[in-house]
Amino acid sequence: MARMKFICDAERCIECNGCVTACKNEHDVPWGVNRRRVVTLNDGIVGAERSISVACMHCSDAPCQAVCPVNCFYKTEDGVVLHDKDLCIGCGYCFYACPFGAPQFPQAGAFGLRGKMDKCTFCAGGPEKDGSKAEIEKYGRNRLSEGKLPACAEMCSTKALLAGDGDVLSDIYRERVMRRGRGGDLWGHATAYGRPDTKATAPAVQSIPQKS
Amino acid sequence: MKKLLISLVSLAALATFAGCGEQPQTITAKPGTSAAKPDDLPYGEGKLYADRNAWQLQLRARADTQNEYKRFN
Repeated sequence: MARMKFICDAERCIECNGCVTACKNEHDVPWGVNRRRVVTLNDGIVGAERSISVACMHCSDAPCQAVCPVNCFYKTEDGVVLHDKDLCIGCGYCFYACPFGAPQFPQAGAFGLRGKMDKCTFCAGGPEKDGSKAEIEKYGRNRLSEGKLPACAEMCSTKALLAGDGDVLSDIYRERVMRRGRGGDLWGHATAYGRPDTKATAPAVQSIPQKS
Repeated sequence: MKKLLISLVSLAALATFAGCGEQPQTITAKPGTSAAKPDDLPYGEGKLYADRNAWQLQLRARADTQNEYKRFN
Protein backbone atom coordinates (compact mmCIF):
# COMPACT_ATOMS: atom_id res chain seq x y z
CA MET A 1 0.00 0.00 0.00
CA ALA A 2 1.28 3.44 -0.90
CA ARG A 3 1.94 5.89 1.88
CA MET A 4 1.96 9.43 0.61
CA LYS A 5 4.63 11.67 2.09
CA PHE A 6 6.40 14.97 1.61
CA ILE A 7 10.16 15.33 1.90
CA CYS A 8 11.99 18.65 1.84
CA ASP A 9 15.70 18.52 1.15
CA ALA A 10 17.18 21.57 2.92
CA GLU A 11 20.44 21.10 0.99
CA ARG A 12 18.64 21.83 -2.26
CA CYS A 13 15.95 24.38 -1.46
CA ILE A 14 16.89 27.74 -2.95
CA GLU A 15 13.97 29.67 -1.44
CA CYS A 16 12.49 30.47 -4.84
CA ASN A 17 8.94 30.10 -3.51
CA GLY A 18 7.95 28.24 -6.68
CA CYS A 19 6.10 25.67 -4.55
CA VAL A 20 4.14 28.40 -2.78
CA THR A 21 3.18 30.00 -6.07
CA ALA A 22 2.28 26.66 -7.66
CA CYS A 23 -0.02 25.81 -4.75
CA LYS A 24 -1.67 29.23 -4.72
CA ASN A 25 -2.25 29.10 -8.44
CA GLU A 26 -3.39 25.48 -8.64
CA HIS A 27 -6.03 25.80 -5.95
CA ASP A 28 -6.92 29.46 -6.27
CA VAL A 29 -6.09 29.95 -2.59
CA PRO A 30 -7.39 33.29 -1.26
CA TRP A 31 -5.32 36.09 0.21
CA GLY A 32 -4.21 35.46 3.76
CA VAL A 33 -4.24 31.69 3.41
CA ASN A 34 -0.92 29.99 2.80
CA ARG A 35 -1.19 26.27 2.44
CA ARG A 36 2.55 26.12 1.83
CA ARG A 37 5.33 28.50 2.80
CA VAL A 38 9.11 28.61 2.70
CA VAL A 39 10.92 29.07 5.99
CA THR A 40 14.56 30.17 6.08
CA LEU A 41 16.77 29.37 9.04
CA ASN A 42 20.02 31.15 9.88
CA ASP A 43 19.17 33.80 7.32
CA GLY A 44 22.26 35.60 6.03
CA ILE A 45 24.80 33.38 7.80
CA VAL A 46 27.17 32.11 5.16
CA GLY A 47 27.25 28.32 5.02
CA ALA A 48 24.53 27.90 7.60
CA GLU A 49 21.49 29.27 5.79
CA ARG A 50 18.91 26.64 4.98
CA SER A 51 15.42 26.93 3.57
CA ILE A 52 12.59 24.50 3.99
CA SER A 53 9.23 24.32 2.30
CA VAL A 54 6.56 23.67 4.93
CA ALA A 55 2.94 22.61 4.63
CA CYS A 56 0.74 19.91 6.10
CA MET A 57 2.96 16.82 6.27
CA HIS A 58 0.02 14.39 6.41
CA CYS A 59 1.37 12.90 9.62
CA SER A 60 1.11 9.21 10.41
CA ASP A 61 -0.55 10.01 13.72
CA ALA A 62 -2.03 13.40 12.93
CA PRO A 63 -2.42 15.58 16.05
CA CYS A 64 -4.99 17.77 14.29
CA GLN A 65 -7.19 14.74 13.82
CA ALA A 66 -6.79 13.80 17.48
CA VAL A 67 -7.84 17.18 18.86
CA CYS A 68 -10.66 18.08 16.47
CA PRO A 69 -13.83 18.44 18.60
CA VAL A 70 -16.14 17.70 15.66
CA ASN A 71 -14.07 14.86 14.14
CA CYS A 72 -14.01 16.46 10.73
CA PHE A 73 -10.65 14.94 9.78
CA TYR A 74 -10.18 11.66 8.00
CA LYS A 75 -7.33 9.78 6.46
CA THR A 76 -7.43 8.23 3.01
CA GLU A 77 -6.12 4.71 2.45
CA ASP A 78 -2.92 6.26 1.14
CA GLY A 79 -2.28 8.23 4.32
CA VAL A 80 -3.44 11.65 3.12
CA VAL A 81 -5.01 13.65 5.96
CA LEU A 82 -8.09 15.52 4.73
CA HIS A 83 -10.99 17.28 6.37
CA ASP A 84 -14.64 18.01 5.76
CA LYS A 85 -15.23 21.76 5.57
CA ASP A 86 -18.96 21.28 6.05
CA LEU A 87 -18.28 20.07 9.59
CA CYS A 88 -15.41 22.38 10.53
CA ILE A 89 -16.41 25.02 13.08
CA GLY A 90 -13.19 27.01 12.80
CA CYS A 91 -12.28 26.57 16.46
CA GLY A 92 -8.54 26.59 15.76
CA TYR A 93 -7.62 23.60 17.97
CA CYS A 94 -5.90 21.95 15.02
CA PHE A 95 -3.73 25.01 14.54
CA TYR A 96 -2.45 24.76 18.11
CA ALA A 97 -1.89 21.01 17.81
CA CYS A 98 -0.06 21.04 14.48
CA PRO A 99 3.75 21.07 14.84
CA PHE A 100 4.07 22.59 11.36
CA GLY A 101 1.56 25.42 11.64
CA ALA A 102 -0.27 24.01 8.65
CA PRO A 103 -3.94 24.80 9.36
CA GLN A 104 -4.94 28.18 7.96
CA PHE A 105 -8.03 30.22 8.71
CA PRO A 106 -9.41 32.73 6.27
CA GLN A 107 -10.92 35.85 7.77
CA ALA A 108 -14.64 35.24 7.39
CA GLY A 109 -15.99 38.59 8.47
CA ALA A 110 -15.41 41.66 10.57
CA PHE A 111 -13.57 41.65 13.92
CA GLY A 112 -11.17 38.86 12.90
CA LEU A 113 -13.85 36.19 12.74
CA ARG A 114 -12.26 32.90 11.71
CA GLY A 115 -13.59 30.96 8.77
CA LYS A 116 -13.37 27.25 8.16
CA MET A 117 -9.93 25.72 8.31
CA ASP A 118 -7.98 25.36 5.10
CA LYS A 119 -4.83 23.33 4.60
CA CYS A 120 -2.77 21.39 2.09
CA THR A 121 -4.77 18.47 0.70
CA PHE A 122 -1.82 16.75 -1.00
CA CYS A 123 -3.76 17.84 -4.09
CA ALA A 124 -6.36 15.19 -3.21
CA GLY A 125 -9.39 17.44 -2.81
CA GLY A 126 -11.94 16.60 -0.16
CA PRO A 127 -14.95 14.39 0.50
CA GLU A 128 -16.98 15.89 -2.35
CA LYS A 129 -17.16 14.07 -5.69
CA ASP A 130 -13.73 14.02 -7.35
CA GLY A 131 -13.28 16.88 -9.78
CA SER A 132 -16.70 18.37 -9.01
CA LYS A 133 -17.31 22.12 -8.82
CA ALA A 134 -18.00 21.86 -5.08
CA GLU A 135 -14.70 20.09 -4.48
CA ILE A 136 -12.70 22.61 -6.49
CA GLU A 137 -14.38 25.54 -4.74
CA LYS A 138 -13.84 24.17 -1.25
CA TYR A 139 -10.55 22.30 -1.47
CA GLY A 140 -8.97 23.05 -4.84
CA ARG A 141 -8.03 20.69 -7.61
CA ASN A 142 -7.85 16.94 -7.16
CA ARG A 143 -4.64 16.08 -8.98
CA LEU A 144 -4.19 12.74 -7.28
CA SER A 145 -7.29 11.32 -8.96
CA GLU A 146 -5.80 12.47 -12.26
CA GLY A 147 -2.68 10.41 -11.58
CA LYS A 148 -0.60 13.47 -10.79
CA LEU A 149 1.45 14.37 -7.73
CA PRO A 150 1.05 17.62 -5.75
CA ALA A 151 1.74 20.69 -7.86
CA CYS A 152 4.27 22.12 -5.40
CA ALA A 153 6.60 19.13 -5.70
CA GLU A 154 6.16 18.72 -9.42
CA MET A 155 6.92 22.41 -9.89
CA CYS A 156 10.05 22.40 -7.69
CA SER A 157 12.95 23.33 -9.96
CA THR A 158 15.72 21.83 -7.81
CA LYS A 159 13.59 18.89 -6.69
CA ALA A 160 14.17 19.86 -3.09
CA LEU A 161 10.54 19.18 -2.39
CA LEU A 162 9.56 15.61 -3.12
CA ALA A 163 6.09 14.12 -2.90
CA GLY A 164 4.69 10.68 -3.45
CA ASP A 165 4.89 7.14 -2.15
CA GLY A 166 7.19 7.01 0.89
CA ASP A 167 9.18 4.06 -0.49
CA VAL A 168 9.97 5.83 -3.76
CA LEU A 169 10.94 9.01 -1.93
CA SER A 170 13.22 7.08 0.42
CA ASP A 171 15.02 5.54 -2.56
CA ILE A 172 15.47 8.93 -4.22
CA TYR A 173 16.71 10.59 -1.05
CA ARG A 174 19.03 7.72 -0.14
CA GLU A 175 20.71 7.87 -3.54
CA ARG A 176 21.07 11.63 -3.21
CA VAL A 177 22.70 11.46 0.20
CA MET A 178 25.03 8.65 -0.92
CA ARG A 179 26.20 10.68 -3.89
CA ARG A 180 26.77 13.97 -2.13
CA GLY A 181 27.89 12.40 1.14
CA ARG A 182 26.03 14.75 3.45
CA GLY A 183 22.64 16.16 4.39
CA GLY A 184 20.99 12.98 5.58
CA ASP A 185 18.77 14.73 8.09
CA LEU A 186 15.26 15.38 6.96
CA TRP A 187 13.53 18.30 8.56
CA GLY A 188 10.26 17.36 10.21
CA HIS A 189 10.35 13.77 9.01
CA ALA A 190 10.56 12.23 12.47
CA THR A 191 7.87 14.56 13.78
CA ALA A 192 5.48 13.70 10.99
CA TYR A 193 6.18 10.07 10.26
CA GLY A 194 7.95 8.79 13.37
CA ARG A 195 6.21 6.09 15.32
CA PRO A 196 3.96 7.41 18.11
CA ASP A 197 5.99 5.54 20.74
CA THR A 198 9.27 7.23 19.80
CA LYS A 199 10.27 10.50 21.38
CA ALA A 200 11.23 12.03 18.06
CA THR A 201 9.43 15.31 18.44
CA ALA A 202 12.17 17.83 17.81
CA PRO A 203 12.65 18.82 14.19
CA ALA A 204 16.01 17.86 12.73
CA VAL A 205 17.17 21.47 12.44
CA GLN A 206 19.80 20.82 15.10
CA SER A 207 21.97 19.35 12.39
CA ILE A 208 22.28 22.78 10.81
CA PRO A 209 25.37 24.61 12.04
CA GLN A 210 24.45 27.38 14.45
CA LYS A 211 26.17 30.72 14.77
CA SER A 212 28.72 30.54 17.57
CA MET B 1 -8.74 5.76 68.48
CA LYS B 2 -5.78 4.02 66.87
CA LYS B 3 -7.99 2.89 63.99
CA LEU B 4 -9.20 6.42 63.43
CA LEU B 5 -5.64 7.74 63.46
CA ILE B 6 -4.53 5.13 60.92
CA SER B 7 -7.49 5.99 58.71
CA LEU B 8 -6.76 9.71 58.95
CA VAL B 9 -3.06 9.21 58.17
CA SER B 10 -3.97 6.96 55.22
CA LEU B 11 -6.42 9.52 53.92
CA ALA B 12 -3.90 12.32 54.33
CA ALA B 13 -1.26 10.25 52.52
CA LEU B 14 -3.71 9.47 49.75
CA ALA B 15 -4.61 13.14 49.37
CA THR B 16 -0.94 14.16 49.44
CA PHE B 17 0.20 11.72 46.79
CA ALA B 18 -2.88 11.96 44.60
CA GLY B 19 -1.24 14.57 42.39
CA CYS B 20 2.02 12.67 42.02
CA GLY B 21 0.85 10.15 39.46
CA GLU B 22 2.07 10.73 35.93
CA GLN B 23 -0.85 10.56 33.60
CA PRO B 24 -0.19 10.05 29.88
CA GLN B 25 -0.76 13.38 28.19
CA THR B 26 -0.70 12.30 24.59
CA ILE B 27 -3.80 11.71 22.59
CA THR B 28 -3.93 9.78 19.40
CA ALA B 29 -6.55 9.83 16.71
CA LYS B 30 -8.96 6.95 17.01
CA PRO B 31 -9.41 5.29 13.64
CA GLY B 32 -12.95 5.10 12.40
CA THR B 33 -14.22 8.00 14.49
CA SER B 34 -14.34 10.57 11.71
CA ALA B 35 -17.66 12.27 11.15
CA ALA B 36 -16.68 13.46 7.67
CA LYS B 37 -18.66 12.49 4.61
CA PRO B 38 -17.32 9.34 2.93
CA ASP B 39 -14.79 10.25 0.26
CA ASP B 40 -14.75 8.48 -3.09
CA LEU B 41 -11.64 6.63 -4.20
CA PRO B 42 -9.34 8.32 -6.72
CA TYR B 43 -9.70 5.34 -9.04
CA GLY B 44 -12.58 3.14 -10.16
CA GLU B 45 -15.34 3.06 -12.71
CA GLY B 46 -15.78 6.31 -14.57
CA LYS B 47 -12.45 7.62 -13.32
CA LEU B 48 -9.24 8.15 -15.24
CA TYR B 49 -7.75 5.00 -13.70
CA ALA B 50 -10.00 1.97 -13.52
CA ASP B 51 -8.24 0.13 -10.74
CA ARG B 52 -5.90 0.77 -7.87
CA ASN B 53 -2.99 -0.98 -9.49
CA ALA B 54 -3.06 1.20 -12.62
CA TRP B 55 -3.39 4.32 -10.51
CA GLN B 56 -0.52 3.34 -8.24
CA LEU B 57 1.73 2.49 -11.18
CA GLN B 58 1.06 5.91 -12.67
CA LEU B 59 1.85 7.68 -9.38
CA ARG B 60 4.98 5.60 -8.91
CA ALA B 61 6.18 6.45 -12.41
CA ARG B 62 5.42 10.09 -11.75
CA ALA B 63 7.30 10.02 -8.44
CA ASP B 64 10.27 8.39 -10.16
CA THR B 65 10.62 11.39 -12.45
CA GLN B 66 11.68 13.35 -9.38
CA ASN B 67 14.90 11.35 -9.39
CA GLU B 68 17.18 13.12 -11.81
CA TYR B 69 19.90 10.47 -11.43
CA LYS B 70 17.46 8.02 -12.95
CA ARG B 71 16.06 10.49 -15.45
CA PHE B 72 19.36 11.53 -17.00
CA ASN B 73 21.32 8.28 -16.82
